[in-house]
Amino acid sequence: MSLRGRHNSANTLAETASFLVVRLGLSYLALPATGVRGILTQEEAGYDEAVTAAETVYLPMDLAQRLSVVADLSGIERRTVLYSTGRSHGAIRVEQVVGLTDVERKDCLPLPPQFHCDERNWFGGMLPYQDQLVLILNPSWVLGESPGVVPVAVGQAEQLVEAIPAEVGRLC
Amino acid sequence: MLRAARGQQQTQDTKRLWSVVVFSVGGMKLAARTEDVEGVSPWTEAIPVPSRTPFVQAMLKRNNHVMPVYDLAARLSRTVQGEPLLCLVARHIDGPMAICIDAYVPSLETVNATAIRPNDSQDIESLGSVTIGEYDVAIVALQRLGRLRQDAVRS
Repeated sequence: MSLRGRHNSANTLAETASFLVVRLGLSYLALPATGVRGILTQEEAGYDEAVTAAETVYLPMDLAQRLSVVADLSGIERRTVLYSTGRSHGAIRVEQVVGLTDVERKDCLPLPPQFHCDERNWFGGMLPYQDQLVLILNPSWVLGESPGVVPVAVGQAEQLVEAIPAEVGRLC
Repeated sequence: MLRAARGQQQTQDTKRLWSVVVFSVGGMKLAARTEDVEGVSPWTEAIPVPSRTPFVQAMLKRNNHVMPVYDLAARLSRTVQGEPLLCLVARHIDGPMAICIDAYVPSLETVNATAIRPNDSQDIESLGSVTIGEYDVAIVALQRLGRLRQDAVRS
């Protein structure tokens, strides 16, 4: 899948949602683009450190660990996505930033009901994209915003209590 | 009246007969009611999905259709055999679900409902078991595959 730069799935006036597509291991994931505050290289972000940008501190998030995904975060395409929901801010390490995509809301699909465990909190839905399937991340879960849950930094993921899917279904 | 009675008899005979698809997973013969099977086609590479649902950790994308994959081989602690592998699409209660099965081409069989015995094994959702040829074959309840596990997880 090569999706560099912006991709428009339709050129009509239909209501669309924008996503930043990233890759972690074999998984393609999408973050609602409205929360993206910056994309840093490894040199710019440092190693597993909090990132301060525009007077905001972005805590490092180990998304691969939380999703139990095997990812190689030592490659040259590794990036750190600075992400904010307004309430919480996180520096999310990914293996590759694939690109931005605009998707008509009708093309966002719910996670099939056969998936019935924690992943329903992790993902708000999915987008078929070319020969791939992109899972839409729930930013509240990613940043550990659920009630009683503090943002999870690297190495603390195992302490995460079960998140509540506050944003699920409203992402697309 | 005689004609009506004969028709009724035929209906009862049909009710007593089950049409099943016999397939295999890791060399283990299994069956499913034909109405629970949407189709069989060549297996294509599945897309892994981070998931905690037992045995549901991938999806299959075909054209614009996406469906979850149920890893029946893993559930049965087996490895699918042969080449090319096949995809059985189950009519699950929650929607179509893909299952990777052995390369052995499934066959259609008709079994008498009275010959179906309760399945002693509680390791899979089944409608019972039946002897087909020399094999004792479990009839997998594809519509509720994964429900036993789901209930076990919840309890």
